[in-house]
Amino acid sequence: MRRAAAPAALAAVVAVLLLTGCAGDQSALDPKGPQAARIARMSWLIFGFGAAILAAVTVLFLNAIRRGPGEEPRLSERGAWRFVIVAGVAVPAVILFAFLAYSARTGNIIATPPPDDALTIQAVSRQWWWEFNYKGRSPSENARTANEIYIPAGRPVRFELVALDVIHSFWIPNLHGKMDMIPGRRNTMWLQADHPGVWRGQCAEFCGLQHALMAFVVVAAPEEEFQEWLARQASEAVEPADAATRRGREVFLGSSCVLCHSVRGTLALATVGPDLTHVGSRRTLAAGTTPNTRGHLGGWIADPHGIKPGNHMPATQLPAQDLTALIAYLESLR
Amino acid sequence: MSSPETAPLHDPAAEEERQLVRTWRSPTGFPGWFLPVNQREIGKRFIVTAFGFFIAAGILALLMRVQLAHPRLEFLSPDLYNQFFTMHGVTMMFLFAIPVMEGMAIYLAPLMIGTRDMALPRLNAFGYYVFLLGGLLLYAGFAVGLAPDVGWFAYPPLAGAEYSPTLRADFYATLIAFIEVAALVAAVELVVTIFKQRAPGMSLNRMPLFVWAILVTAFMIVFAMPAVMVASMMLALDRTVGTHFFAASGAGGPVLWQHLFWFFGHPEVYIIFIPALGMVSSIVGTFARRPLFGYTALVLSLIATGFLGFGLWVHHMFTVGLPQLAMSFFTGASLLIAIPSGVQIFCWIATLWMGKPVIRTPLLFVLGFFFIFTLGGLTGVMVASVPFDQQAHDTFFLVAHFHYVLIGGSVFPLMGGLYFWWPKFTGRMMSEKMGVASFALLFIGFNVTFFPMHELGLIGMPRRVYTYVEGMGWDNLNFIATVGAAVLTLGFAVTLINAIWSWFRGREAGPNPWNGDSLEWATASPPPVYNFRHPPVVRGRWPMWENPQPEDRVTGLRPDRREVLITTVLDARPQGIAVLPGPSIWPFLLALAVCVAFGGFMIHPAFFLVGFFAAFAIVVAWHWPGEEERLPPWKERTRE
Amino acid sequence: MNGEPVDVRRLSVYHFGNQGPLYWGILGVLAIESVVFGSLIASYLYMRMGEVQWPPPGTAEPKLLLPTIYTAILLASSIPVYWGDSGIERNDARALRWGMLIGIAMALGFLALKAIEYSDIDYFWNSHAYGSIVWAISGFHALHVLSLVLKTIVIDILAWRGYFNAERRLGVTINGIYWHFVVVVWIPLYFLIYWSPRML
Repeated sequence: MRRAAAPAALAAVVAVLLLTGCAGDQSALDPKGPQAARIARMSWLIFGFGAAILAAVTVLFLNAIRRGPGEEPRLSERGAWRFVIVAGVAVPAVILFAFLAYSARTGNIIATPPPDDALTIQAVSRQWWWEFNYKGRSPSENARTANEIYIPAGRPVRFELVALDVIHSFWIPNLHGKMDMIPGRRNTMWLQADHPGVWRGQCAEFCGLQHALMAFVVVAAPEEEFQEWLARQASEAVEPADAATRRGREVFLGSSCVLCHSVRGTLALATVGPDLTHVGSRRTLAAGTTPNTRGHLGGWIADPHGIKPGNHMPATQLPAQDLTALIAYLESLR
Repeated sequence: MSSPETAPLHDPAAEEERQLVRTWRSPTGFPGWFLPVNQREIGKRFIVTAFGFFIAAGILALLMRVQLAHPRLEFLSPDLYNQFFTMHGVTMMFLFAIPVMEGMAIYLAPLMIGTRDMALPRLNAFGYYVFLLGGLLLYAGFAVGLAPDVGWFAYPPLAGAEYSPTLRADFYATLIAFIEVAALVAAVELVVTIFKQRAPGMSLNRMPLFVWAILVTAFMIVFAMPAVMVASMMLALDRTVGTHFFAASGAGGPVLWQHLFWFFGHPEVYIIFIPALGMVSSIVGTFARRPLFGYTALVLSLIATGFLGFGLWVHHMFTVGLPQLAMSFFTGASLLIAIPSGVQIFCWIATLWMGKPVIRTPLLFVLGFFFIFTLGGLTGVMVASVPFDQQAHDTFFLVAHFHYVLIGGSVFPLMGGLYFWWPKFTGRMMSEKMGVASFALLFIGFNVTFFPMHELGLIGMPRRVYTYVEGMGWDNLNFIATVGAAVLTLGFAVTLINAIWSWFRGREAGPNPWNGDSLEWATASPPPVYNFRHPPVVRGRWPMWENPQPEDRVTGLRPDRREVLITTVLDARPQGIAVLPGPSIWPFLLALAVCVAFGGFMIHPAFFLVGFFAAFAIVVAWHWPGEEERLPPWKERTRE
Repeated sequence: MNGEPVDVRRLSVYHFGNQGPLYWGILGVLAIESVVFGSLIASYLYMRMGEVQWPPPGTAEPKLLLPTIYTAILLASSIPVYWGDSGIERNDARALRWGMLIGIAMALGFLALKAIEYSDIDYFWNSHAYGSIVWAISGFHALHVLSLVLKTIVIDILAWRGYFNAERRLGVTINGIYWHFVVVVWIPLYFLIYWSPRML
């Protein structure tokens, strides 16, 4: 009996580890939408079956080698055939067939086209950041943001997935499985957040040097809040309100920033890097790598490769005052 | 030829043995290294070299685990990490798993079928040099910072010229095609040897299961490897001469690469795994001390696995955006393959159940295999489901899954096989105590390393990331995995020490220390250079257990040249004699020429033509008839 | 029959025919080559399915006349090679020498006409995906024909030096098998490259 204690203790430790970690803002086991919920439900069922089958096989083979002294074999030829046919063919065939049907049905349900009232967002991936385009009723209502999306809670959202350089994969585990973004192909998927919340999505296909740090924030907001956010994002950048931010804008427009970035409402219109029109409103910098705070923003401008080695943003050397002004300006772009 | 003066007249057997040694021995000394063609010599080289690469790739894995032990560590740069994980995958797949299995097959299969050498010995040596040169070139690139960094799957456009402008991806594209030549050569060799050189009486339905497994594997190599050779040559052309096979704008596009790569890539898993199943069969039968239960079912399962292995490749592409119905078909095929695996596992369990098992290190590794492989198989069934895979794909769940399948399904049986056949290889027993300790460390270390990865994947950690940010809830599990990796390393180290120790101090083994059932145990340990003085004659499925008579043997093979007996494919009735060539430098030179063709191709396409014509000239020289062969052909072989 | 040694002293050395290991070895090589060509064909069809217009706009459909002529020449080249092969079975070294020589000439004719065709073509391997796959398939097959020519030259030199006879003809047999394979494998490639753009 003492020998059974160690595995039991181990199993307990494993169970605790397993269950404590499931919740999270990037977890397939903490579903917040209908598709993720279906997949998670199926997952738990197959984990249960899997554990039972593993336990059964383990008991069987341990039993098969257990012998008392001088004990004779306990399985006859006929018994062995029956055993192999039942345990090796019949039972697996039934379980696998049922699983195939269940899996195919689940797959079909989560892949059905979204309802007509779905919001469409175009997700564009590049090495190593995300751009999101919201199509409004008129061009003036079009909104563009980077590395952060808002979606209306309780309403389906359809994503058009575009890759501009290499293959990436769009994945928000709490809401749905992933879908690849392949250059030259147009994939679509849809998902829905049942309730307001904030989660994280991350690129799931190896895409080069900084694949590891290519994430984005997903915010599901109540419909009204979402509409407010969308209207703000569609608008042009706010005018600087004080001297510091005005100076900051001058620094911005006079620096190499404008070669890659755009701030709608100014002369900066480049599309190589993320659109900064409302960068101050975002929660993170560098595609979900650091929080968007004053200190991190400064660090990111001055030394992007310290945070994300090898990314495509060059370091910008500015006098301290200019940098402070630039940070103030960027922070004001809310 | 033998001179009667020097031969002791009273002992013709000793004289025959001396003559056999003279005929079959390999040259020694430095130039001699490049000459041997004997099957066991080549097999040993394959095994030792493959384990060398295994250690290299293992060290890479350990360093990667250190980097991931804590969020945002700066132990490895992303650039280095990407090279490491690519080299780890490429090495384990192409430079360890396939070659080591081939090595075991080349060493053991001819012994098991009771012949003196393989059918095409010089080609065998050529295959080894290709493997060696390819591997060394890849690591030479690594040493100068040119290791591929695009993953062992090398998806374009990332692996294309635009996004990987340096030679790194060229090292991948051309060397993969080159190294595959070795696998293809060995596959053809093995098929021919197994078909044509079995001991008289060893009809197909008496062949040891290990040999069956090798036969199925060899056929799979023949049908799977060319796809990746074509694909990687296309990639090389895309990179060097600007073709558009995988260009995003082109008609083929990145998805064509994925189809071709996985059409090879999935069978590849079974190419690694099926020989291991053969080893499990050898070990289970021996240590259950009774004939394997369900021989026919086991053979049919191997064949079924071989066929089904080709129908699964799309399950690596469930997130590409293919039609649902097509994907469901591949789910079905992927689930179906669980059945032959299940049949085999339950046949082995039944064998143990019906027998009187003695638990020794090889059997311990098989028991470990039962547990780990079953778990890996179950997660395999899970990821065969499209919706589940959409969450699990390209996360650490997958990393956990395939390490359970590959280490559990392949490395554990291989370790068992190593302990099992070590006495045959070296003539000495490994220490049982160290064996048990190694097993315990490996089993615990393996599970501690890889089990947490299942959860890591499900809570959102993607694969192939060099780091992760704080606050994701991944820290503890990653740390545990890293600790496990250290234990795992210790486990391998104990076996390495055991091997070295036993080489010098191990107990003398004798011909058949485990009372095994197949013919490799019918000769001395290690076997003499000619394997069998008189190749055995087989009367049943378990020749060593069927009271072999000393008269059950082949007589009349000439000792003064390399003669092997050719038998019929189905029933193994004696049919003729083949005279095999002896040591030769041509295989090495041919491998060099082919190496120039492939390796030079990354620098300039003209090298391909240089290598092609050089290889042709060498092939002509190789086959140019020697003086002896110009004499009128022999009608009668005997000198009387 | 227990305990009876199998005496193989009277068995002869096999050098040819479908009993020998080399025969099975060459079958293995042909299987590998077939999968290589199969992968190329599958890639072609996959690419074709991904395009509305094939060949792409601006590229003409392949012309038929020249390829059909050289295809016929290649197919016909199997006849002298077969004649030579079966000649040496009857110890007729003359048939072997001349059969191989005619075969080589026809294969060179095939390559020459192909060179003429491709020197006159208005796209290259780097023009577009269609160009890549067509050049790859044609080039890979032409490389096979070239190696066929080189191999057979060596065989023919040996034949002129009187090396082969009815017993010692393994090299000839293997070369013949490979020759017929390279000829036969061209048939699907011919239809794929020259006819499928008109029909699919």
